[in-house]
Parts: sequence; structure tokens; C-alpha cells
Amino acid sequence: MIKIVAEKVRDEAKNVRTIFFRWDQEVRAGQFIMVWLPGLGEIPMSLSYIGTPKAITVKAYGSVSQALVDMQPGQEFYIRGPYGNGFQIDPGRKLLIGGGSGMASLLPIADSETDAIISAKTKDELIFTDRFPENRIFIATDDGSAGFHGFPHELLDKLDVSVYRKIYVCGPEPMLYRVMQKLSDLNASAEFSLERTMKCGIGICDSCSVGGLQVCKQGPVFTIEQLRGNPEFGISRTTYSGKRVFLNMK
Amino acid sequence: MADLSTSVAGIRLENPLMLASGILDENGYTMLDVIANGAAAVVTKSIGLEERNGYSAPIIVEYGDSLINAVGLSNPGIDNFADEIRIAKKAGRPVIGSIFASDAESFTKLGMKMQEYGCDAVELNLSCPHVKGFGLEVGSDPDLVEEIVTELKSKIKVPVFAKLSPNVSDMIEIAKAAEKADAYVLINTVKAMKIDIRARSPILTNVYGGLSGPAIKPVGIRYVYEVKKETGKEIIGVGGITTYEDAIEYIMAGASAVQIGTALYTKGKSIFRDVASKMNTFMDDEGFSRIQDMVGVAIR
Ligand SMILES: Cc1cc2nc3c(=O)[nH]c(=O)nc-3n(C[C@H](O)[C@H](O)[C@H](O)COP(=O)(O)OP(=O)(O)OC[C@H]3O[C@@H](n4cnc5c(N)ncnc54)[C@H](O)[C@@H]3O)c2cc1C
Ligand SMILES: Cc1cc2nc3c(=O)[nH]c(=O)nc-3n(C[C@H](O)[C@H](O)[C@H](O)COP(=O)(O)O)c2cc1C
Ligand code: FES
Repeated sequence: MIKIVAEKVRDEAKNVRTIFFRWDQEVRAGQFIMVWLPGLGEIPMSLSYIGTPKAITVKAYGSVSQALVDMQPGQEFYIRGPYGNGFQIDPGRKLLIGGGSGMASLLPIADSETDAIISAKTKDELIFTDRFPENRIFIATDDGSAGFHGFPHELLDKLDVSVYRKIYVCGPEPMLYRVMQKLSDLNASAEFSLERTMKCGIGICDSCSVGGLQVCKQGPVFTIEQLRGNPEFGISRTTYSGKRVFLNMK
Repeated sequence: MADLSTSVAGIRLENPLMLASGILDENGYTMLDVIANGAAAVVTKSIGLEERNGYSAPIIVEYGDSLINAVGLSNPGIDNFADEIRIAKKAGRPVIGSIFASDAESFTKLGMKMQEYGCDAVELNLSCPHVKGFGLEVGSDPDLVEEIVTELKSKIKVPVFAKLSPNVSDMIEIAKAAEKADAYVLINTVKAMKIDIRARSPILTNVYGGLSGPAIKPVGIRYVYEVKKETGKEIIGVGGITTYEDAIEYIMAGASAVQIGTALYTKGKSIFRDVASKMNTFMDDEGFSRIQDMVGVAIR
């Protein structure tokens, strides 16, 4: 494990905090690390900043992520990684589509040719809206409390996606699935970063698998072609015990 | 071209390489993909009667090319596992159901279910080193091992493999207690642990885990050799196989087939096709035409 000291923190939204730290390691956009808090547990986290300093942006769900959100500068945590393949970034106009904390893995892609759809359940949960110029950002909330009232795949109907060389998507799987369907119809070039139950992070425990592919090793980023026709994407996944549960998307 | 096909307990294998229990084998689609990558058979993750979450992460420590794991026998429970076997069976290759329990009655229930689901053999996990009441605690008691194997053999038709632990004082004694099994699987992981000196703490949530990978290969070779020499029974060798040389070494020590687990972490799923093809070249170069001709040739 690599010992890390939190250098600076920044609150992004209610229960969402970015933790900046130094780590002399080359990392590609879309890669992730396993973060260990001794005595509490270990969870996967994308890197939201990959230069110097690096950062993770954490939304509190359970005990480990809550402890990270409560972290103060000077406090320590331990990491291993980086893991996963990362995005294959093509030059040219890009569109990011992020749902909730999914924006974290997309942020390192952003450059002067990047537009973003940032979505969340409600206004209070939107993150990184301040990282993009106003004319490059589209906001969607499930409850209509900010921006477009509805889901990202519905907002896509209002955009001309043919202007984008590639579209990069990260968020909860039901959202990814709907966006994949929409972008398939539009014949867009796109990559999706998936989140599934992860225990080992190194491609041996099978808890993160989607249709024979290990999200931690062959992913977390997959092309639209890899996901179209995948027998599990948007359909079912295995829980922490290995029990298959269905997402009821179809 | 040498003939890579072989058989264990009457089960025909296209090549001697099978997937080891607990690595990429809880999801039927993953098992399908492992077979598509050249594994002759897959062994499922060890399945028990009840759903278990196992330990919370960290459940794994990377130790060079080796690993220390304490997954904690997480599994969906036998009643939830039928679908995974059904999916894996679509590949048309043998699927071996690994099971764990603490007494003969439960092992028998599990074995009968695995047979009903279509498994081609049942592997008894008598050797997991890190879960109280299961695995090693069962597998180090010769009377209990004998009772489990005898009872199960009397109830099911498919072959039974006994997977033994190196964490016992006398493996030969346990092997003899399990002699009604159709083959032995040697070895499971070696009990171990890792402390992070900066955190001043064991890394695994369970503190103790099982060491696997290249670090344990010489131990595995020694047990396969010794048990083959003492019992003459069919053996499936497992522990640290990463290259074709490792696989051949196990076969020459007495294994009729081998299993690969940890090396999927360093080499990925393509290891099966890669090792098989290099084994073939080795056999041609060395004048072996069949796997059987190499089994136990090193035994003195
Ligand atoms: C590749 C990847 C990248 C991610 N990136 C980010 C990111 O950048 N930002 C972000 O906010 N989130 C991210 N996540 C999601 C994040 O990992 C989860 O929110 C986090 O795991 C929640 O952990 P928790 O312990 O706080 O929550 P909990 O909900 O309490 O627990 C969830 C985790 O605990 C374990 N667990 C669950 N149930 C059990 C049980 N019954 N027994 C034992 N253990 C159990 C599992 O590890 C599970 O994943 C990412 C996930 C993945 C897969
Ligand atoms: C992550 C992991 C999980 C394992 N789970 C099981 C299991 O459920 N049942 C079992 O019999 N063996 C289990 N094993 C042991 C392996 O099947 C194998 O015996 C051991 O790892 C040695 O082989 P290897 O060096 O090729 O991995 C596990 C090993 C690892 C690394
Ligand atoms: S998290 Fe273990 S295989 Fe992906």
C-alpha cells in the first residue's frame, strides 16, 4: 500500500468532497485506485485530477466513503493502483455525460474543446458545474430543480451530437444503459466507464464482471461496441456475495 | 504435434489446464469467457448451503507476482447458483462444482445439487485456510474427512475430487482418509499474512489469508510428488503455475492435470492458450507424444 497524506480538501456539494494529494505516478484519465482506511475498509475511487496534485472526489454512501468525505488536510490514507484501462481520448470536440459522482472520472478529460452534460437527482447534488464555462455546460436534474427536467438520455434529444468526435459517459448503470441505447441509434462514437461491486481490483475475484469482462481490469472503460449485446450490461449483476440480481431495465 | 488431451477420473480434457476454484468463477459468463480463452475445464468458486458475503475489503494483498487472499468463502448459496452453472455449461466443456461445508450431511446435500445442476465432477474444499468452522478446520480432521468422502461417494454418481491443504502436519494421513475420492487436488493456499509497516496494521480485514502464486509452487510440487508416490492416485496439481514449465513440472511430479488461478492476475485469461501451445512445442522437442507419458516421470 502507498501512504498518502491529504493536502487540501474542497466541498463540491452536500456530502461530496474532493481530496487533493501528492502521488508521483503517471495515471490516465478514467483509471482508478483502491483506497484503504485501516480498520474501516477499502473501496474503489476514480481519480478526478491526474496531474499534480492528484485528487479523488468522494460521495458519501456508507462507512468508508463517509470517512473519506470527513477527511481533513494532514490526515492519512492508503492506496494501491492505478488500475484499469482508462479512456482512449481522441482529439477534437468531446462531450462528457456524467451522472452523480460519475463526473469524477470524466473531469480529467475536460479541455477547451469539451462540453459537458452534468446530471444529478437534484440541484444540491450537482458537482463540477464551476469547472466548465457556462456556454459549454448542460445541466439535467431528475426533479427539475436545476437545468433540464429529466434524464441525460432525454436531454440528448435536444442536442446535435454529430458535432462531437467522441462522447464519454460515466454514472449509474441504468443511466449508462439508456444513454448507450440513445447513442447507438445516433451511431455516435462513445466510451462508457462502469461501476460494479469491486473487491480485488486486479481481475481475479469476479465480483465486478459484466458479460465475461472484468470491469476492474478490462475496463472500467468500454466502447459502445463492447457493451452493445453484452449479456449482462443493463440487465444483471452480482452482489457482494456473488448472487445475481436483475436491474429490470428492459 | 503432441496430443494434449488427457483425462482425470474418467473426465476427458482437451488439454491438462483447468481454472482453479475461487478465481474468475462466480459468474457463469466469466466461466464461459475463461473457457473461450482455452481452459479445458473450470472449477467453480466454492459454494456453501447459505449465501455469505465473506469478508469486507481489503480481501487481497499483492505480493510481487503472488497474492495473499482472505475472500472468506463469499458465495450466493447453492440454491442461487444453478443459473451460473447452466450458463457456463453452454461452452460444452466440463464444469466442476466446488463445495464447502462443515459436516458430511451438508457436503452431501451440496454435492447432490451440483450433480443435479449438471456438474461433471464435485470438488471438496477441505482446505480453505482462513474461515473458522470450514475448510482447513474440516480438512485437518482425518475421521471427519473420511466420513465426508464416504458419505458423498455413496450418494452421487459424478466423480469426487478432494482438495487438500498444505497447512496440516501430515498430508499423507489426510490423503489416506480421503482415499475413496476419485482424485486429489493439491494444493490450496498456504496460511499467511501481510502487515503494512506505515499503517502499523495487518492489511487483510481478516488479518490472516492464504498465499498463492509462484511463492508456493515448490510446496505444491513437493506435495504432488509425495502424495503420488505414496498413494498412486490421480492428482490435479495446483499452486503457482504461471508458465508451461511450471505445468510440466507438476505433471512430471505426478499430476494428470493442473489448475491455474493466481497467474490470471499477472498474465490474464490468455494464459491458458499460451501455456497449452508452449507445452505442445516442449513435448515435440522432448519426444513426448501424450500427456500420460509425462505423468510422474520424475518420481524416484
Ligand atoms: C471503478 C470505480 C470507480 C469509482 N469512483 C468513484 C468516485 O470517483 N467517487 C465516488 O464517490 N464513488 C466512486 N465509486 C463508488 C464507490 O466505490 C462506492 O460509493 C463505495 O464503494 C461505497 O463504499 P462505502 O463503504 O462507503 O459504502 P457501503 O454502501 O457501506 O458499502 C459498499 C461497499 O462495501 C462493501 N460491502 C457492501 N456490502 C457488504 C457486506 N454485506 N459485507 C461486507 N462488505 C460489504 C463493498 O466493498 C461495497 O462496494 C467508484 C466505484 C468503482 C467501481
Ligand atoms: C482469490 C482466491 C480465491 C480462492 N478461493 C478458493 C475457493 O473458493 N475454494 C478453493 O478450493 N480454493 C480457492 N482458492 C485457492 C486456489 O484454488 C488455488 O488452490 C491456490 O490459489 C493455488 O493456486 P494458484 O497459485 O494457481 O492460485 C482461492 C485462491 C485465490 C487466490
Ligand atoms: S474486482 Fe475482482 S475481478 Fe474485478
